[in-house]
Amino acid sequence: MDCNTAKSKLFPYVDGELTPELRDQLEAHLAHCSACRRLVDFEVAFRETYVERLGPDPAPERVREHVATLLQDLVQRQHAGHGRRRFRRFVFSVAAALLVAVGLGAGITLQTYLGTGTTLPELANAAVEQHQKLVRKLLPPDIRDVSPKAAEEWFRQRLAFNVSLPDLRTEHLHFLGGRISHLREVEVAALEYQLDGNNISLFIIPEEAYRRLHLTDKPRFKVVSHRGYDVIIWRSQGAGYTLVSEIGDRACQVCHAPEEKLEPLPRPSAHL
Amino acid sequence: MDRSSEFQDLVRKYLNSLYNYALVLTRHVEDAEDLLQESLVRAYGGLHTFDRSLRFKPWIFTIIRNVQIDRQRRRRVRPSEAPLGREEEAEPVVSTESPLYSIPLAPEDILVRRETVERVRDAIRRLPPLLRETVELRDIEGLSYGEIATIVSRPIGTVMSRLYRGRNLLRTYLVESHQRPGEKGVGVRSDGL
Repeated sequence: MDCNTAKSKLFPYVDGELTPELRDQLEAHLAHCSACRRLVDFEVAFRETYVERLGPDPAPERVREHVATLLQDLVQRQHAGHGRRRFRRFVFSVAAALLVAVGLGAGITLQTYLGTGTTLPELANAAVEQHQKLVRKLLPPDIRDVSPKAAEEWFRQRLAFNVSLPDLRTEHLHFLGGRISHLREVEVAALEYQLDGNNISLFIIPEEAYRRLHLTDKPRFKVVSHRGYDVIIWRSQGAGYTLVSEIGDRACQVCHAPEEKLEPLPRPSAHL
Repeated sequence: MDRSSEFQDLVRKYLNSLYNYALVLTRHVEDAEDLLQESLVRAYGGLHTFDRSLRFKPWIFTIIRNVQIDRQRRRRVRPSEAPLGREEEAEPVVSTESPLYSIPLAPEDILVRRETVERVRDAIRRLPPLLRETVELRDIEGLSYGEIATIVSRPIGTVMSRLYRGRNLLRTYLVESHQRPGEKGVGVRSDGL
């Protein structure tokens, strides 16, 4: 091995990344070449003096707290999922027994009731969970500091359904940003607002997913109260909308000016 | 211990490394936190794919990098944030057989001057993104060439080339920081070749 080849192997040699064969060849060269030996010694000294004392930039305390919360959330959600699956298995077992007992007619009824599609309470639950994560910044926005129109354009380039954002400009309402998110495994546009300091999330879902909820046309707005949050669900312009907040129908100001006269919302149809 | 508890313990143990790598990829404190959280959600969801016979850090670093590539695709890249893929396409290739490759910059001067460790750390932060990434993964995280190649989805030769250029450029920075204005460098091109 000549000096040029030896020098080209210097870093991998000190890193312990040479094959045994190459290492033996290099060490044979070093045994009689003081210039190359000197380079290796410097490299080793450089590592001992600096490299071995370097460490990664430490995570700030804020990041540590957020990660701890996230880990807790992930584990809880998994446990909740296991619970739901166990419950579903139980329900399906009962349903199967009933099918045998009472025949096909009853089976059709059960299938409608227990169908695998998402139900209104399940959608509300998923929307509330996402809302909490957005508010706690566990799900960061993909876009922020843009106008609703710019955000609408951004989503339209990425989602295969009609995303139409309200573009109200009042001093009390602030559009914070948005991200592509998931509700019950359906890709949705998730938008964050603040109204007088209250957080509001608006989820725009594909019309097809909204149809699978099998909701009646009347009342137009469905209201669900879940874990202290108010969830309002409706359909408009080829998409479904889900609004989550803690301020009831005041959240409608995301889409309607305060002076607009709106039809009164129905009382919450489900308390979960 | 179940997988979920094991995951939590490993994340806590390596949190500095995970955050640091997210910072290397995003170059923004705020984005680094976002990237880290999104990556942890994805890693937790794919925990069943983690082969316990392998090391945790390379596995989760690969996820962090993939999430960052996805985020860049989604955002169509902020002006200050060059996409990982595009930089790689423009990367000069230095063969290990090239004469340039055979001239490592001896750290003699730097050793004589006794730099502080913090100054060396700062110089690493100033490296171009892909060179910094490789130097951080090797010299700070202690990953093998093969593990780094898997994380960055490039051959080991590319890793060696980046490491060579990164380390030499780092030494250039350290030498230049002690030179008077106008004084010439030490025979290493500014891109580290």
